[in-house]
Amino acid sequence: MAQPARHAAMLSISNSGPNLPVAAAAADRQQPAQHIHTQSQSSQGLRVPSNRKTIYDRHLNRSRNAELSRASFAFLFAEMVTYAQRRVTGIQDLERRLNEQGYPLGLRLLDLLFYRTMSSSTSSALSSSSSTSSSPPNRPLRILPLLHLIHGPLWRLLFNRPADALEHSVSPETPNEYMITDNDPLVNTYISVPKEMSMLNCAAFVAGIIEGVCDGCGFEAKVTAHNQPTEMWPGRTIFLLRFGESVMEREKVLERAGVK
Amino acid sequence: MAVFSLIIINKAGGLVYQREFQPGLRKLSTNDYLVLAGTFHGVHAITRSITPKLPLAPAAALATTPTTATTPSPNNVVSPSATSSTPTSSTASYSYPNPGVPATGLECLETDKFRLTCFQTLTGTKFLLFTDPLMANIEVVMKKIYELYADFVMKNPFYQLEMPVRCEAFDRNLQGWLRGRT
Amino acid sequence: MSYYFTILSPTDVPLFNIAFGTSKSGGDGIARFRFPDTAQYMNQFIIHSSLDIVEEAQWMNGNMYLKHIDTYPPASAYISAFLTPSGARFLLLHQPPQLASNSGQGAGGSGSMGGSMSGSLLLGSAGGSSRASASSIANNPTSPQTEEAVRQFMTEVYENYVKTVMSPFYRQGMEIKSPVFRGRVTAAGRKWL
Repeated sequence: MAQPARHAAMLSISNSGPNLPVAAAAADRQQPAQHIHTQSQSSQGLRVPSNRKTIYDRHLNRSRNAELSRASFAFLFAEMVTYAQRRVTGIQDLERRLNEQGYPLGLRLLDLLFYRTMSSSTSSALSSSSSTSSSPPNRPLRILPLLHLIHGPLWRLLFNRPADALEHSVSPETPNEYMITDNDPLVNTYISVPKEMSMLNCAAFVAGIIEGVCDGCGFEAKVTAHNQPTEMWPGRTIFLLRFGESVMEREKVLERAGVK
Repeated sequence: MAVFSLIIINKAGGLVYQREFQPGLRKLSTNDYLVLAGTFHGVHAITRSITPKLPLAPAAALATTPTTATTPSPNNVVSPSATSSTPTSSTASYSYPNPGVPATGLECLETDKFRLTCFQTLTGTKFLLFTDPLMANIEVVMKKIYELYADFVMKNPFYQLEMPVRCEAFDRNLQGWLRGRT
Repeated sequence: MSYYFTILSPTDVPLFNIAFGTSKSGGDGIARFRFPDTAQYMNQFIIHSSLDIVEEAQWMNGNMYLKHIDTYPPASAYISAFLTPSGARFLLLHQPPQLASNSGQGAGGSGSMGGSMSGSLLLGSAGGSSRASASSIANNPTSPQTEEAVRQFMTEVYENYVKTVMSPFYRQGMEIKSPVFRGRVTAAGRKWL
């Protein structure tokens, strides 16, 4: 039973009780162990930068309006594609890898996006001194709000503009399919896919981001990117979102319950 | 103002890109273009090495008297190390016809039917542009072509360095830009 | 008031735990649960048992802060929940201190804390401030003030959680070990609770 002993030791330290010999003795016995603990923590540990600033000291809105060099992003993305291309078995495998690279990004962006919308709404609330009137954004519960979140705020966060179209599958057999269109995906701006790989669309990376966002919100989905060039937009890409069975079932339940 | 065609030669003298924008020149076979690229590469190298080196008489004299080394004419680019030590000064005591710019080789070739302009990048890739001899502002065209190359060829993950350029986006943008100019 | 705060991943893996006490109205920030012998695992048990309710409320209410969602009367533990959009759950268990007025049990509870000195200290401070803070955070876990204080706390933790998540070395579902994060949560607790 080590736990109660440690508890007693903690209490005795907090009360600095010399008139509690038993507890003090217990504390003495605990002392070496605690030293070892702190030592091991500092040795395995945290290396603080020379300016003593960790990621927790940086404001999350600091880079909110900052702009990234398009060229450096293009080079980075080109390297990511090259990296993903190593030892792949085929185009599908390559797209899967790009998708996997985007997925964790989607999860992160989701939290960041909500934080930013939340902090901007509360800061405006603070100035008008009514913190309860402006509520933070809601988590999407149904498919449509989720799609609007992706189409609008997420796209603006990533590409500084909303996506170009949002459609629902017209086929009655696939009610779980939705499409988001981007006429000229930023990631593909400088990419020319060789003819022998014409099925490939490197925006599979963006599809991975979308998938991460959907999964993060609790909407299990498979997202793929497809080329659909037009005369006007040779790089037009359609992101096809296929929601899982469980999502569609829940959707029905929530519809009956009147949740929006 | 006509831009007839563009040729890109890699640093080994291989033809990596050839494209015709407007008719006006005689068509060559693919093989002839390869020969043209290789030949031009050789001629370019020769023109670079036969660029005359103009001796700098005052600089050579200054090299022996380091105290006055700070007063060469501003046009002379003689590195400070060259003026301070005599052995190296003998190799650096000349200037190219275009002071301040190292010899690059053939830059322009003009006939009464066309003008060939050559631009060499820092990495040794050469862009050959065949234009109308009366056309002005070729540098602007060349600069834009270089920019498009840097964007749509060099940022393309599927392009392998020194290999033939097959980038559909490069073709499309080049074509679009040239069409927009005329 | 004593608190136990947990972050659970979307797959119910505990990512972060901390126990602390109130720093308001003369509190020293040390957790004193009623049943200290069993608090270590009982708190986790109570928190995890409220997950069912969280998961039910999650799809009825789109707010991130779900307020007070569950109570466990035997330990008089109140649970508040906050959901991040990416599916992590912040759960806060709060247990108001036992006042001197509900006598017998209080004595028993403090007796088991292992030190008569500390027990009497606790009772003294709670008794002294009970009149002034009848509606304060410490004594009324379901009052609007408490809800608001917890919301502020959760929001501040969320900010630090986002910073953790944005770290390139953090993957979803990993335990949060950063001592800086722990320090930040402690500071948030001191500030709002």
